[in-house]
Amino acid sequence: MRWRSPGRLRRVDRFRRFLVSDHAAGWAFILPSVILIAVFGIIPILWGLILSFQKAGLISPEREWVGLSNYAKIASDPKARQAAVNTIYYTFLFVPTSILASLFIAHALNRKIAFVRFYRLAVFIPVVTSTIATGIMFLWLFDKNYGLANWLLGKVGLGPFGFFEDPNQAMIALVLMTVWGWLGFDTIIYLAALQGVPQELMEAASIDGSSRWSTFWRVTWPMLGPATLLLVVWSTISALQLFDEVFFVTHGGPLGRTSVVVFYVYRLAFEQGLGSLSLAGYAAAIAYVLFLVILMLTLAQFWLGRRVVHYSS
Amino acid sequence: MRRLLVLLAVLGLLASACTGGDDNESAATGETASGPVTLTFWHGYTEYEKDSLYALLDQWNAENPDIQIDPLFVNNDNALQKLTVALQGGEPPDITYQYGSSLPQLAAAPGLVDLTDWVQSPEVNWEDFVAGAREAATFEGKVLGVPALIDNLAVVYNKTLFDEANLEYPNADWTWDDFRAAAKALTDPSKKQFGFSYPMDASEDSVWHYDPLLWQNGGSILTEDNTQAAFNSPEGVEALQVLTGMAVEDESVFLDLQNSPYTGLFNSGKIGMLVTGPWDLGSFPDVDYGVEILPGFDGDHQTIAGPDMWTVFDNGGGRAQAAEAFIAWLTAPEQMKADALAAGHLPFRLSVIDDTAFIDEFGKTIPGVDTFAQNLANVEQARPVLAAYPQVSEAMGLAIVSAMLGEKDPQTALDDAAAQANDALALAG
Repeated sequence: MRWRSPGRLRRVDRFRRFLVSDHAAGWAFILPSVILIAVFGIIPILWGLILSFQKAGLISPEREWVGLSNYAKIASDPKARQAAVNTIYYTFLFVPTSILASLFIAHALNRKIAFVRFYRLAVFIPVVTSTIATGIMFLWLFDKNYGLANWLLGKVGLGPFGFFEDPNQAMIALVLMTVWGWLGFDTIIYLAALQGVPQELMEAASIDGSSRWSTFWRVTWPMLGPATLLLVVWSTISALQLFDEVFFVTHGGPLGRTSVVVFYVYRLAFEQGLGSLSLAGYAAAIAYVLFLVILMLTLAQFWLGRRVVHYSS
Repeated sequence: MRRLLVLLAVLGLLASACTGGDDNESAATGETASGPVTLTFWHGYTEYEKDSLYALLDQWNAENPDIQIDPLFVNNDNALQKLTVALQGGEPPDITYQYGSSLPQLAAAPGLVDLTDWVQSPEVNWEDFVAGAREAATFEGKVLGVPALIDNLAVVYNKTLFDEANLEYPNADWTWDDFRAAAKALTDPSKKQFGFSYPMDASEDSVWHYDPLLWQNGGSILTEDNTQAAFNSPEGVEALQVLTGMAVEDESVFLDLQNSPYTGLFNSGKIGMLVTGPWDLGSFPDVDYGVEILPGFDGDHQTIAGPDMWTVFDNGGGRAQAAEAFIAWLTAPEQMKADALAAGHLPFRLSVIDDTAFIDEFGKTIPGVDTFAQNLANVEQARPVLAAYPQVSEAMGLAIVSAMLGEKDPQTALDDAAAQANDALALAG
């Protein structure tokens, strides 16, 4: 009893002090962003979670609680399995290809050559190009009958390839297109990391008689560890969330061979299950499983990274 | 203290930003109480089709100060998705243009106006619409839309390529064997020239190009009670073999995965024949083309219609009634004629189709549209209007594409699709 009134006083006092503190002004300044993130991020995330326990279509207001049955359904859905296989296949192709290619290009651009700024700019331009523009360009380039790629390959006696039209090549074509589109971003990260490698380490290595090749793998590559970890984590997340390119370029085809998880979720929720089929809840459940997979993968990558990656002090 | 002022200033800004939004909202809802109403009207027309529609809208708005129409362009392919978002926000458009195939999904939407009683009123003259259009507007016995546009499929061919190959033009008695032979003769790999083009995106577009072959050959999509797939019958397999024969054996088909380059290729003389609708004719200014009804099996030349709908949402305050009055006017014979002449849209009221003087005039607008208009008489069946239809369509689309790519033989492809379709039909009940 005797503690209550001073306690309350102190609380009022603390609130008054909070109002005039840096904290309050800081919160006020970020409030617009907080509201935006809440409205467009947190609320939909929570709504999606609720939806995943319901049988619901987005058009009809009817909602029926079905517990975990949406989640149970995923295991026996062949199209969900196909989407998962496609997504894993894409990720395994995309992540190593983009990292190795950007490492090579960053290394090539990390030297004093004429027009290096131009080359660096050229590498980065695809990143700021819209997905739609990239998609249209690659559809033309990779056209089976009239495309430049097949014309050039034909000159050296290869092809013609179906690319996006061939069920067995479509995913590879998609990987080539997206690697091209994101190469600049990875390259910039690696370029920054390469320039952070202390010159004296390289000099010491060359004085000790190390070849360029072994200097790269023994000195430079370990020093790039943090950048590589960042890129592996980031590329994996974005590969698992692939959607725009599939939606625009292949629409999951041919024969569902490029139907990745997020695209399948879109089809269920926004194309097929809007009305009385009520598949939006099921789609939300798949989206949540994907979220959990990404979360666990990322945690595992960071855990692994902490044991392998060398952080220079 | 100064920090407190900063805080108040920021909050003040936010507050004014928020109330600004509220003001707009109250203005929008305030006008429903009395006086003139402004109806939101979604359509998907561009270029000359839009000009034709807007001319009619201007006329209506000038004559009806109490019911003003506020048009908004929404791409037809995304109209259902956009409507879903608007419904979530609680403010659907008063009138929206939707594909007929979306009707079963739309039936679940709150606020969708059931037009069954209203279409019986004399201002609509419902029986004057062609039967296929009325059927497509009806779901489970309820009329949920008013026909806005009807297309059908016919053969569009490049006369120059036929002349160069010394081939006779297609005629109304053609069989699919004639069609296949012509496609083969028109194909020239060295010139990257194809006899025919087929939409290979496995969407409904891949399916409805196949449906007429299935129907002509005596097959059907589903059993009569709509509970089982029937397209994997011998008739269905035979129909698909026509397409696979051309695509796999003759290699005379441009397999259009994107389902869009075909218009440009036809217009540059790389494709000999298309099976398509009147909406594409405006894309072929560089080609001397002809239009002929579909080839047939055993003299059956039926085609398929793709009807689109105006649907009405009730936003209260007499707006639904105002929307109905406008739709009745927009689809009345006089407006239908004006729109047909200006936009090349096929007329689908019997009183307009039977007006021979008008049809003659219509045929002069865009070469070939009169054949499409007459081809409406060859529409005998409609696709099932079912909640599970999108899934049936998806299974069929994949089957057709996999067979035409040579991945599966027609029988296996259709059997697999039938199994999937039956699962979907059983689940939907």
